[in-house]
Amino acid sequence: MSLAVRIIPCLDVRGGRVVKGINFKDIVDAGDPAEAAKRYDAEGADEICMLDIDASFEERSTTIETVKSIASQVFIPFTVGGGIKSLKDVDMLLKSGADKVSINTSAILNPDLIEEASKEYGAQCIVLAIDAKQDGETWNVYTHGGKNKTELDAIEWAKKGQDLGAGEILMTSMDKDGTKSGFDNNLYMELSNNLSIPVIASGGAGELSHLVDAVKLGKADALLAASIFHYEEISIKKVKQALQTEGFEVRL
Amino acid sequence: MHLGVVDYGASNIHSVARALESLGPKVSIVDTPDKFKSVDKLVFPGQGSMGSCVKKLKETEMFNPLLEAIKSKPFLGICLGLQILFNSSEESTEKGLGVINGSITKIKDLNKENLKIPHMGWNNVKIEKKHELFSGIEDKQFFYFVHSFVAANAETGITTTHYGEKFISSLATENIFATQFHPEKSGEIGLKFLENFINWKI
Repeated sequence: MSLAVRIIPCLDVRGGRVVKGINFKDIVDAGDPAEAAKRYDAEGADEICMLDIDASFEERSTTIETVKSIASQVFIPFTVGGGIKSLKDVDMLLKSGADKVSINTSAILNPDLIEEASKEYGAQCIVLAIDAKQDGETWNVYTHGGKNKTELDAIEWAKKGQDLGAGEILMTSMDKDGTKSGFDNNLYMELSNNLSIPVIASGGAGELSHLVDAVKLGKADALLAASIFHYEEISIKKVKQALQTEGFEVRL
Repeated sequence: MHLGVVDYGASNIHSVARALESLGPKVSIVDTPDKFKSVDKLVFPGQGSMGSCVKKLKETEMFNPLLEAIKSKPFLGICLGLQILFNSSEESTEKGLGVINGSITKIKDLNKENLKIPHMGWNNVKIEKKHELFSGIEDKQFFYFVHSFVAANAETGITTTHYGEKFISSLATENIFATQFHPEKSGEIGLKFLENFINWKI
């Protein structure tokens, strides 16, 4: 027996509402993040991730309210990302009920943030999120939601993040994201071989076999997806059953 | 029923308090020595290292009141709240509360599986001995764990879990129950466990 592969649905939230329009049948308000989170919990999600898209200073109070609302109703690990710039932001989110925070662009602009946050709150609650795009044999890191290219190599940056104290790496393949053509398994395999902390794979899920392959070939510890779960194209339970058939431990 | 959740200033106690509140009872934060007296049951969630936890408890003058309360009230220790019950830990030179004999050790990768440490995620909990706090919970259910150190040997073990080695995932003695897993983050089953603690009669 070993650890279960984690399935993590991601809620993309803007201004306190779930975007990407979900169409769950029996929930009253599909745009309410807490309702959606509760539904995912009931379906067997192992964690909930909430990404505040275009989180800005003005919207921070809305984000906090949303985090509080989810945390008071859903009792599984809960990660919040989007616009986290300072230790104060981390502190506020953790106090509001997040169990982990996911930091992306700010970690590149200010790597000390990962180190300081990890020292203060523990590595287990610091997730380093990376957006990467393949360039020949390697992968480049992008910031600001994939808008700006950096000179950083994704594998090297992930290793640096681990050294700085990140407890997990959430790697999104920009080449695969939104394509539904499968995960970038080479990227995840490379990552897993180079890291001693868990790797969460994101981007490219379209079919059941894609998710299974990300674990089997990419050696991912956890899978994160938004749209396939939002639109009920594939249920969390089906993903777990498929993984179980392949001999992987899952929480069913 | 009035539950107290101990806050020594270093752990995220809010998720525990929120999970307990969702089940109905009055929940208060115990962050000063005088507050131990007013609660019926005590929950001690812990995060971080044993050394810093013990130091903080001493700084806030809560070490002795906590020890007193543990001897007299139904007590639930979570994660570091289990480890601190022991005499000592490999993690620190600071002594624990010493309520349970034995020591806490770093997780051993006995089969050289290249285990990732900390042990973080959902793992099976095998019930070794019957206990009220597991009533209505089936054997080998998944609970959520985040830790690097374990109680590898304790006669008081109620459940065991396997990660690199077999370790004690929960234990009990008289009015004390402690879990290495986080019931407050273990979904429905975790809530059932907490409900059992709220209803626990000694």
